Amino acid sequence: MLQRLLIDKMENRIIVGTIAFLGIMVLVGWLAINEGGRMQAFERQYLARSIERGAALFNSNCSSCHATDGLGLAGRAPALNSPYLFGHNFLASIDRELVTLGQELTRTDLSAERAVEITTRVTELQSERASIVQALQPAVTKGYDPETPSRLARLGWGGTLNSFVYTTLVHGRPTSGLYWPTGQGMAAWSQTAGGPLRGDQLEDLTNYILNYDKGDGWTTDDANAVVQYPINPIDSALAGPADDTPRVGTDVAAIETELVNITRDPVNGQALYNGGVYACAGCHSNAAVAPATGQTWTAAQNERLQAPENAGQTPEQYLIMSIINPNHYIVPGYPAGVMPQNFGERMTHQDLGDILAYLESYDSGVGAQASADGG
Amino acid sequence: MSVLPFPSFLDDIKEKGFKRALYEGINEVVERATAGMNLQDIREALRGEAASRKPNPRLQPHADGFWLHMRPSYFHKSVTGVYPEFRLGWLSTYFVFFETITGIFLMVFYTPSPTYAYANMLTIMSNVPLGQFMRDLHRLGAEAMVLIVTLHMIRTFFTGSYKKPRQFTWFTGVILLFLTMFLSFSGYLLPWDQLALWAVTIGASMIEAAPPEVVGTNLNLLLRGGPDIGANGLLRFYLLHVLAVPALLFIFVGVHYYKVVVHGHSLPPKEENIGEDTAKRVPLDKRVYFIPDILTSEIMWIAVTTLILVILSTWFFHAPLENHADPQITPLGTTAPWYFLWVQGALKLGDKVLWGIIFPTIYVGFLAVLPYIDTTRSRRWAHRRSIFTIILALIAVTVILSYMGLAEFGVINSADVDVLHHMTMEPAHNHIGLLRPVPFDQLTPGIYTTRQFDASPGEEAEVLAGFNTEIEQSLIAPYRVSDTFTADTTEGFVANYLEVQQHLHIPASGLNFVSLPTDATELMSIMDEFHHELEVEEKELHNGWGGIVITDEQASLKRVDLFIFWNEVEMERGFPVLDANGEPILALGADGNPILRISSQRVYIHEDSQYFNAPGA
Repeated sequence: MLQRLLIDKMENRIIVGTIAFLGIMVLVGWLAINEGGRMQAFERQYLARSIERGAALFNSNCSSCHATDGLGLAGRAPALNSPYLFGHNFLASIDRELVTLGQELTRTDLSAERAVEITTRVTELQSERASIVQALQPAVTKGYDPETPSRLARLGWGGTLNSFVYTTLVHGRPTSGLYWPTGQGMAAWSQTAGGPLRGDQLEDLTNYILNYDKGDGWTTDDANAVVQYPINPIDSALAGPADDTPRVGTDVAAIETELVNITRDPVNGQALYNGGVYACAGCHSNAAVAPATGQTWTAAQNERLQAPENAGQTPEQYLIMSIINPNHYIVPGYPAGVMPQNFGERMTHQDLGDILAYLESYDSGVGAQASADGG
Repeated sequence: MSVLPFPSFLDDIKEKGFKRALYEGINEVVERATAGMNLQDIREALRGEAASRKPNPRLQPHADGFWLHMRPSYFHKSVTGVYPEFRLGWLSTYFVFFETITGIFLMVFYTPSPTYAYANMLTIMSNVPLGQFMRDLHRLGAEAMVLIVTLHMIRTFFTGSYKKPRQFTWFTGVILLFLTMFLSFSGYLLPWDQLALWAVTIGASMIEAAPPEVVGTNLNLLLRGGPDIGANGLLRFYLLHVLAVPALLFIFVGVHYYKVVVHGHSLPPKEENIGEDTAKRVPLDKRVYFIPDILTSEIMWIAVTTLILVILSTWFFHAPLENHADPQITPLGTTAPWYFLWVQGALKLGDKVLWGIIFPTIYVGFLAVLPYIDTTRSRRWAHRRSIFTIILALIAVTVILSYMGLAEFGVINSADVDVLHHMTMEPAHNHIGLLRPVPFDQLTPGIYTTRQFDASPGEEAEVLAGFNTEIEQSLIAPYRVSDTFTADTTEGFVANYLEVQQHLHIPASGLNFVSLPTDATELMSIMDEFHHELEVEEKELHNGWGGIVITDEQASLKRVDLFIFWNEVEMERGFPVLDANGEPILALGADGNPILRISSQRVYIHEDSQYFNAPGA
């Protein structure tokens, strides 16, 4: 028996082979039909497991600063488990309705009853709005602003939240040590940037952090539970020195005249440059973010003053202009409108003079030292 | 007169009519393509009729065609059945092509770089239609190929077909077997997951042992492209896998086939006189022609084999994909691929050079030269007792060594690590931690303990209340080998450990053990198992009890901390020392108090993770 062909008759061999072939085709066809569902299921499952791995990574790498519950540690690092990061606007629906009602109110064919109705409703909404803002007071004292509820919008971030979190993980916050009370910045976590984690681990972490999102489920309690909100390197709300010393204004010629009477102190200038009030170093110490001032002043002079827009300016005029009216001239390769426009309203002549002195000292020993510190 | 300025198909149509001209045209193409068989010949062959014209057109393809010149034009009737060949040689060849085709499909979506390889796997699984299916087929085919080729060799031994004049055929066969194994092995690394990295690290580290040191070190460097497997190592394995080894394999397949045509298929031993080889002298009445019988039979065999592979890949087998490769984390229970387990087992016997290099070399060398050592003429079993003894002993040794190569054998982990691993392990090697498949909604946040199972039904609450009081009151001398915590009570010790070491937030009320929710049946049963395993390990984990803390990490994510708390006992070579009564001896700290130990493991479980207890999960 075993020494004969397994199936002796040709017809049967052909039948078995044909059936097997058809079976293969049917199964492959069936698989192909179900591939869409299978691939989706795989993606969901993979994301879930990625979040699990991210949780473990977060616990061992991030929780010592951002806290195990992601609510942040006071003075140390901001919350990630926060409606602010996800841009949840508690006032959104009320504001939308207020706008609609406001528009309706301007219509000429509006009946008197409707106008009364709208006014009542507006009052109602405004009190509701006020009560939400009131409920958010604990968060407000920690730096939250219900009127600008989105971290990304406030930063002018053009990408997605995913890319924001991921790039933050990759590069860290190179200069955050300059404006956080602990003086410790967030390190770069990607191996490509000299950190310890691989790209896939950063993706796991990003997935985990994004999983804090509660969508429409965020409550004011969540906002109030946050321990620490982000600190911005440049905070326009900070008005500068507390006293009522006159500010420099925006007239370059006038400023120059005033500056003649000032004794400039480059050391204080350095402190101001790196400090939290004007926070220049928050951006200008990393050439990827803003033109770095770490190079020598002569070099900057030679390059910047060659540009046609700056023709005829003295170095000092150029610097003053760049501080009080940054959009006057944008160094090629950098975006306009990023640097605050209101230094003229915030700086005193003394502060401006000190900062100029510090910048101009870059060619001297003090400046070289300062630049090394800044870098 | 020709329609076109040269003779053409149009002339044929004009002369013979369209139908006839078309038929003749096709007929001619077919005859050329088959190197000698026209439509009529093929029809006759498939009907099982004799050839109607002479010379026999069914022999033409063997004489004039490329593909069939590698195959004999007829077989002896005695070698066409299931016995003696089991079609293993043919199936081995089929797998070469099967793997090539599925492999090319996968190559399209693959980049041999540690940065992209794993992401490519995910893309294949999540974004390439039939990608997972092709990967399953390729992987399953690779494992099957090693198996089939090995069986083919064993069969050849049993029928004595390696004997004169087929010694060299056998020799090339041994080379093919090892090329096959190396192909399969080099493919292991490419997904760049944990399984890949560690299986290959183990395999490659054997090469490092090759004496003298300068040779081993440099061979290792050449293969890995650096001290550790990284970007260079992956690229090298990739090139070996898709280029170098297949090229060698195709060459040796050619040699192997050529030798089969030259010497013919050996007959079953009983059909020949001792020492005779009549394979090339097949009497007319014993001939079975390749076309059509053998050919259709072979096509049927591969169709059925493919169907089996497709069925397996559809329902029963999925190529494993573990977590991304991480050189920093060695998974517990790492093993080499199953066909190299025997080497891993041998390595556990002692010296790396002797057992990792010399022994396998002798083993393989012995197999390769077997026909030149065993030169007895008879192929009958009764006359081959000594070589049968040797080979069967060798098979037995290989099986035993393979068993010894398993992670379960000879690797002693401390009991707490084993128990926790068993409860929480990530899916790997077709195993999964018991805890992971527990349904998400059964993971009710709370603090539970295995002590609950010491109580008789209905009295759990009472027992737990007693236990809570006990751990709140008992004064202990906090003492652990690596960390020291200051706490006055067991509760404080455990809570402190979980908070400081594991960054777990313990509620202000402290550890307060409660009964498992009665409707969480699966959680209940794995806790019961946890309890049971602690009882089994009672000698080593003396007075041991386990706890589990389930917390909400995020809305769709739970955190589960398992811990074991026990009295350390005196250990010797991985086993507890027992006194005259068979009881373990408590280990005492410097202050004369028993040493308390705690060990824990945490897992995060997301509601969509879909862990399940299936093979290949």
